[in-house]
Amino acid sequence: MTTLLLAAGDNPLGHVLDRDSALSIEGTRLTLSMISLVVGALVCITVLMMAARRIKTGPSSEGNARFVTKGRIAQVIEVIVLGLRDQMLVPVMGERLAKAWLPLLLSLFFFILTLNLFGLVPFADLQEMLHVMMGQHDQAAHDMAHTQPAAVFFGGTATASLSVTLGLAVISFCAIWWQSFRDLGVKGTIEHLCGGHDLVHGSIGLWAVIPIIFVVEIGGMFIKPAALAIRLLANMVAGHTLMAVLFSFGAGVLKAGGPTWAAGSITLVAGIFAVLITFLELFVAFLQAFIFMFLTAVFISLMAHEDHGHEEHAHDQGHGGHDHGGSGHAVPSPAH
Amino acid sequence: MFLFAADASNPMSVQILPLATAVVVALVTVIVLSLFVWPTIAKGLDERNEKILGEIKAAEDARANAKAAQEEFERKLVQAQQDADAMIKEARAQAQKAADDLRARSEAELAELKKRANAEMDAARRQAVAELEAHAAELAVSVASKILGRAIDAKDQKALVEQSIKEFASTGR
Repeated sequence: MTTLLLAAGDNPLGHVLDRDSALSIEGTRLTLSMISLVVGALVCITVLMMAARRIKTGPSSEGNARFVTKGRIAQVIEVIVLGLRDQMLVPVMGERLAKAWLPLLLSLFFFILTLNLFGLVPFADLQEMLHVMMGQHDQAAHDMAHTQPAAVFFGGTATASLSVTLGLAVISFCAIWWQSFRDLGVKGTIEHLCGGHDLVHGSIGLWAVIPIIFVVEIGGMFIKPAALAIRLLANMVAGHTLMAVLFSFGAGVLKAGGPTWAAGSITLVAGIFAVLITFLELFVAFLQAFIFMFLTAVFISLMAHEDHGHEEHAHDQGHGGHDHGGSGHAVPSPAH
Repeated sequence: MFLFAADASNPMSVQILPLATAVVVALVTVIVLSLFVWPTIAKGLDERNEKILGEIKAAEDARANAKAAQEEFERKLVQAQQDADAMIKEARAQAQKAADDLRARSEAELAELKKRANAEMDAARRQAVAELEAHAAELAVSVASKILGRAIDAKDQKALVEQSIKEFASTGR
């Protein structure tokens, strides 16, 4: 354990950032985030399938009880789905868009949530500890110090990897522009990039701003999903780093030649704080999954109607929430 | 902004393989969930929603029916009270009439009885007076016979009787 603590004291980020696992395919070393993605997807699909079976209406022989969801996890999932659909997505996107994009948005939410929650469980550290207890502590300490955990097959927070969050943002990007081309068409999309129909077909004097708006919109095309990726990454890395730093205090004392009791005391206090921060992390896991999903929904809804082009610019320039006249849905500002 | 490299120690580094894995896995997850999970959940939630709305509507209908039935009941209750009041009033009137009839009939009978009794009393009185007159005549004849010491014939007897009666009548009245 002392060795582990010493190793942990070297670089707290070593426990947070993505690293290679012990698995490889045809000589290519798989990263922990890749394995977490696959495991997370399997767990997410399995849990949601079980929940769906319990939420589904039962046979008529059960009477009114057939409408009751059985099982607490299924009930929690049902409450989340209902809340997201009826309280968040439908008011923001409208019935038509919400119905069309609900599967993607809910899938993104639950997938990201699963990955975030996986990050709260120290699977990788447990495997390293097991490795040490099996007598290979020297190698483990060496590996950890160099962020090369030879014995770790699975663990870590996949969403604490920019590669993963960018991958998710790519899907959001595609969804946003798919909606744009589907609803506005190519001409409408180009008009949207140029400031909207009113501006393009408006006064010639205003055409001077079209190139500026075009550049801003093109930049926004990429900045919006990139912001989604970085926001998710930063939030997940920050919390985990804080916890790793807390635990590194004890190791730092040992490394500096301090007494074991001092290191133990500090580690105990740090552990108490870590427990508190874990609750915060739990909240952040839900919050960030929601924000990623919700902002994707907002960006999609901004591409829904041609006559919203003008309002979007006001929106993008920091005028906050506005009402989409056609659909009558208030869209909150995504620039948070 | 992003560093496309294999430097895992840099939080801003992007590796193609994990990125591609994330895209593929996320897409597969979305597709699987969209095909097998969300339709089932949406159907279950919608059916429950319809059931709840149906139950609420049925409850509202039942409530409206109950309210209508209550109003009908109250209306009938008021009607029944009015009918009962009318019946009681009528019964009282009939009872009063019967009592009046009975009293009138009793009074009539009583008057008849009184009249009859008076007549009987008059008849009895007259009979008594006649008997007394007859008896007094006989008594007078007998006394007169004894005083005269002889039998008086029918002519004398008649004269005496008439005289006695006259005297009796003059003294008795």
